[in-house]
Amino acid sequence: MNPRSFFNCDTDALAGRCRDLAALDDVALGARLLRMTPTHDTRTEEALTAWARTALEVGRELAAEAPSPAAVAVEQAPGGVSPGEILLAEYHHRSGAVVVHTGALALADALVELVGWQAYFPPARVREAAVQHELAHRLLHGPAARTLRRRLDHRVAGVGRFHLRGHVAGADEIVAHTVAHARSGLGRSPVLLTLGLAEALPFTSAGRARTRPFPASLGG
Amino acid sequence: MGIAILAVMAVGVALMLTRKVPTAFALTFLAIAIALLSGASLLGAENSVAGTVMQEGAPLLAATMIAILLGSWLGTVMADTGIASTLVRKIVEFGGERPTVVALGVFCVAILCGSITGSAPAAMLAGVVGIPAMIAVGVPPVVAAGTILMGIAAGLPLELIGWQFLSDAIGIPVETVRFFQIRLFPIALVGGMAYILVEMRRRGARHAWAVRVPAGAGAGAGATGEDEGPSRRARRGDAPWYALVTPLVPIVLALGLHVPIIASLAVGLLYALVTTVPLRQMGERALRTLYRAFDVAAPPIVLFIAIGMLLSAVRLPGAVSALNPIVSALSPSGPLLFVLVFAVLVPLCLYRGPFNIYGLGAGVAGVLVSGGIYPTPAVLGLMASYGQVLGVSDPTSTQTVWSAQYAGVRPEKAMVSTLPYTWAIAVGGLVLTAFLFLL
Repeated sequence: MNPRSFFNCDTDALAGRCRDLAALDDVALGARLLRMTPTHDTRTEEALTAWARTALEVGRELAAEAPSPAAVAVEQAPGGVSPGEILLAEYHHRSGAVVVHTGALALADALVELVGWQAYFPPARVREAAVQHELAHRLLHGPAARTLRRRLDHRVAGVGRFHLRGHVAGADEIVAHTVAHARSGLGRSPVLLTLGLAEALPFTSAGRARTRPFPASLGG
Repeated sequence: MGIAILAVMAVGVALMLTRKVPTAFALTFLAIAIALLSGASLLGAENSVAGTVMQEGAPLLAATMIAILLGSWLGTVMADTGIASTLVRKIVEFGGERPTVVALGVFCVAILCGSITGSAPAAMLAGVVGIPAMIAVGVPPVVAAGTILMGIAAGLPLELIGWQFLSDAIGIPVETVRFFQIRLFPIALVGGMAYILVEMRRRGARHAWAVRVPAGAGAGAGATGEDEGPSRRARRGDAPWYALVTPLVPIVLALGLHVPIIASLAVGLLYALVTTVPLRQMGERALRTLYRAFDVAAPPIVLFIAIGMLLSAVRLPGAVSALNPIVSALSPSGPLLFVLVFAVLVPLCLYRGPFNIYGLGAGVAGVLVSGGIYPTPAVLGLMASYGQVLGVSDPTSTQTVWSAQYAGVRPEKAMVSTLPYTWAIAVGGLVLTAFLFLL
């Protein structure tokens, strides 16, 4: 299938923006990913860059401890592209199951082909990276979460020598992507693919306007 | 004639349900049809369509409309100055990697937002940052949407606009409304917390590799002022800590010091502006947010104009005498039957059904009151209890549609997830009503 058929826009311009992203290093990409997290819209670029750098380091260290994909049940589900969202994979803590969505993976593959990123993201490896990403989230439910919080050292309150470290939303995503990068042998971090998909989202079926709530114009 | 009026009401429900006619227009047509069927003349000073229903009915809920405008203005200021988003950010920072704690914190913020303004603007106030923040820490999307909705509904008993509306619509003093609502609040609070704790326990955390439409770009985000670019918010930073108590100001004034509703909201508004906006910008910012608040307040005000006309129609002597025998025969007598029958009828407030207080339910309440079927406070209890269900679980309510879609789930899924809890809350409200007013 022609990869251009997935996107209803000037695909050359989209590919150009994605190539601009590829020129950034992993730290800058991580900072951009954090900027997309809704709780960080008032943070300085310096803070986001510092957190991204730390999360990358933690991710690289954690990659050695990540479990083998054989240790979990991986389910395959169709779809993954819905209005407002491209969902490549998800991890359910209660069941321990990882679900990969083939529709979203196909869209990711189309973007890779469109931009010419096959060397970075070979098709089968993206699926493997998705599984590794979710396995990393499983790790982050354990002591690794405390390690990440300590290393990020985001102080939200304190008196004298005593202080309370706050959670940095989105840092766990960078860790998970870094683990996936290291474990699945991708040429670049999946953060690059994520940001590329974010650029492409408005021009895919996921970017379709959501149906407006009918009574919105009439209250209630 | 009573049967004919009920048939017209059924047609009205069908028109709203099938979305053939917008709710406010359907209610206006209903009001005129009921008045004509009740023998009202077209013109005249007394009991006429033009005089009683339209001229007197349209501004019947005027005090509620002013409260809505002030509440919407306060909500817009809270969004514009970053008070609401700062509250959510602090919760995520403190709650961190414990999704249930974050959900409970956002639930509290939603209670505060729901106590200031209602419907979709309240959902946006808490949800624009709250929903993606919850999903980011692992709260399943349907629970994230449900958390916002349950929070807004739990804030409903404290919402001053709601007090004014119930007081105007049912014809009961605000003091009685306050008396009941502050007793309903703990039931709604416990129900909402149970929803979060049970659903998080049942479903567990969920993480995803996903790309979403950025916060603030979603449907209706502009309505609360969350559509500004990140650069401007970055320059502005978080709202100061003392501004974060803004939502409590009107509640404390109205509940603790018994200050009238409109004055309480006005003081809350002033407090928000003084604590977040430099003096030299205050006039400009106040005016800009006021004009935006008119956009937010317009839909409910249109609805309340129509409800006022419907209430005037069902209070016409002809309508009362026609409907009274039928409603008396159908209405359960005795506290036990009151609770049992109305508990079973809870779904009738969904999908713009006949017990939707922000629709035909206002007319039903008017019939129950004018016919003297139940003591007036019991009708208040009935409608406030049903309000808890339709405010959360009705997939045609704007807040439910907005929250569900913003979380990436269908509104019907949000209904299935929340209905067992809201139904239980409604039953709790009915038991409270029977205990307070029917025993």
